[in-house]
Amino acid sequence: MEITEIINCLKLEIANIEYTTQTDDLNTYGQDWTRFHQVDAGVIVFPKTVEQVQTIVKLANKLDFKLVPSGGRTGYSGGAVATQKEVVVSLEKMRQILDFNVDDSQVIVQAGVITEQLHRYAEEKGLFYPVDFASSGSSQIGGNIATNAGGIRVLRYGMTRDYVAGLKVVTATGEVLNLNQGLIKNATGYDLRHLMIGSEGTLGIVVEATMQLIKPAVEQSVMLLALSSLDAVMRVFSIAKQQLNLSAYEFFTDIALNHVCGHRSLDKPFDESAPCYVLCEFDEDEEAVMQVFEQGMETGDILDGVISQSLEQGQLFWQYREGISESIAHFSPYKNDIAVKVSLVPDFMNKLDALVSQHYPQFELVWFGHIGDGNLHLNIIKPDDMNIDDFKAECETVNTHVYGLIQQMGGSISAEHGVGMIKKPYLGYSRSAEELQLLKGIKKVFDPKNILNPGKLV
Amino acid sequence: MKILVAIKRVVDFNVRVQVKPDGSGVATDGVKMSINPFDEIAVEEALRIKEAGKADEVIVVTIGNNSAQQQLRTALAMGADRAILIETESELQSLKAATSLLNVVEKEQPGMVIMGKQAIDGDNNQTPQMLATLWKRPQATFVSKLEINDDTLLATREVDEGLETIEVRLPAVISTDLRLNEPRFVKLPDIMKAKRKPLDIIAIDETLSGFEDKELTIQKYETPQARQKGIMVESVDELVALLKEKGLA
Repeated sequence: MEITEIINCLKLEIANIEYTTQTDDLNTYGQDWTRFHQVDAGVIVFPKTVEQVQTIVKLANKLDFKLVPSGGRTGYSGGAVATQKEVVVSLEKMRQILDFNVDDSQVIVQAGVITEQLHRYAEEKGLFYPVDFASSGSSQIGGNIATNAGGIRVLRYGMTRDYVAGLKVVTATGEVLNLNQGLIKNATGYDLRHLMIGSEGTLGIVVEATMQLIKPAVEQSVMLLALSSLDAVMRVFSIAKQQLNLSAYEFFTDIALNHVCGHRSLDKPFDESAPCYVLCEFDEDEEAVMQVFEQGMETGDILDGVISQSLEQGQLFWQYREGISESIAHFSPYKNDIAVKVSLVPDFMNKLDALVSQHYPQFELVWFGHIGDGNLHLNIIKPDDMNIDDFKAECETVNTHVYGLIQQMGGSISAEHGVGMIKKPYLGYSRSAEELQLLKGIKKVFDPKNILNPGKLV
Repeated sequence: MKILVAIKRVVDFNVRVQVKPDGSGVATDGVKMSINPFDEIAVEEALRIKEAGKADEVIVVTIGNNSAQQQLRTALAMGADRAILIETESELQSLKAATSLLNVVEKEQPGMVIMGKQAIDGDNNQTPQMLATLWKRPQATFVSKLEINDDTLLATREVDEGLETIEVRLPAVISTDLRLNEPRFVKLPDIMKAKRKPLDIIAIDETLSGFEDKELTIQKYETPQARQKGIMVESVDELVALLKEKGLA
């Protein structure tokens, strides 16, 4: 069916529907932060109500056109990319905070509410929404839920999933489901809410969510440590974890730090470079910090360290870590977002480092990660003189090696970025054939006509 | 030359300040406290002067309660040589603070006193000027660049019209502006070393003999009125109509 026909039908159903077919808009709304696909969106529609979303989905079923739900488009897996003239459903006009209940500490938000908006709202209410990541200024709650976003404080607070108390979803067949409705205890069988979380827009479109807020944490200190080796990262983690109440333990290499400092015109935090660094955030406790530091210095794992003396300095320390992705974005990096059990991290890192540098010495590798929860980001930088298709092909061979190792160690090929289109071919490394069969079955139950986000996840 | 740096413990710059429900002040319980950012710049500048070989000792002084030792320790960890806490439980106004500092200045005889142009809690911008007057020495305020010669210094000041450079004879009082420098990070080994550096405590009364108290009385603190929420207009016509309605166009 021609796009113009689809638009005409949409207009008949929703008189004042907002949409765009301008090339710039199609490219903007038709893709996420990945740059490996030829973007080809048909039209971008901006529903303003749950009913409008429902109407769009029902029409898609009737006329058999495909939909791509779209949030803040900060994903790294191609989960929100339109490549086959799909109708992109942007939730960005639905960004109201609808209700707050002080006794429940819950807030009902529309799917298009920006993560940072929720952070600020919680703060105004004397509460805290702990899920946070570098893209919190543009990512939307609906997208966070669809991808079960994680980020920098998973170590203490868990993932988005842990804060979704209720969901309103328009399913792929156009039904509106009210899931769990803010209940803390609800033992009534299959919890479809959790099936929707992390479903990457393949089962339904999240339109509203009841988010659980918590009490704010006590004063946090931020410390940057220069470490002598990759092995030291996990040894220091085990000391730090015992002595401090950690909320983040983040790791990055000197190569990553150099990119950030160059990109943001920052001075390096230490006079002497070290092979790698960690950023720890924890409940302020000077005595305990000193113990960790002294122990680490004695073993030679810690070479140097600085600790924030003001909130502003703490934020500056975070820039060294959070600025990494942005600082390498223009090199079209091939991003790996992998995880193993925390106890297996040192072994995994050593094997992975040996594997990649042995097979691919020509690539610059930028390592960083939320290592306290077993999640590593390995970024491969595209060499200037290599075209993007060759680079992608090379990276795909890297993948088979890396993912083979992950499979051996019982890890995940996607810790928090999701599967989308990029990881779809590799899902078998993390999920068994039987599991995949069941996943496909679930997709069929919710979306018999394969209307929603085709080509993604399963 | 000795340099005396005066610092103040204040509610952290990034904390959203809240007035106590009874209007008696600003809530500080469980609130992050830091060195006044302008004073941190003053500490950094003093250390750089010392590192350049133009001073032999950096003494950091504050007026406050016992908890202010924490900020003195931070300054010691940054590199100051010793610290003085003028202890008091009450909030001081500028003249009293300047008078108390003068007492320390007379005892220590520094070649330079350096401090922030204002503290971000009261934003008074008075203590450096008052101290210079009481001490009867020159002052260079709002300094964004400093060059020390033998017994003079060249100070670039940030003034309303732009920049002004003045030459000042030492000893003098300097007040720092934001662009003077970027304070260094505090290294963990230096925090340990700072614990062994001398920190003297003197009671405020010892520094205020003969001071006649004529302070202002603060009647009440209140939160500024909340700004009205903006509205989105759909078209230029609507915008023009609204501006006309409000008598602005």
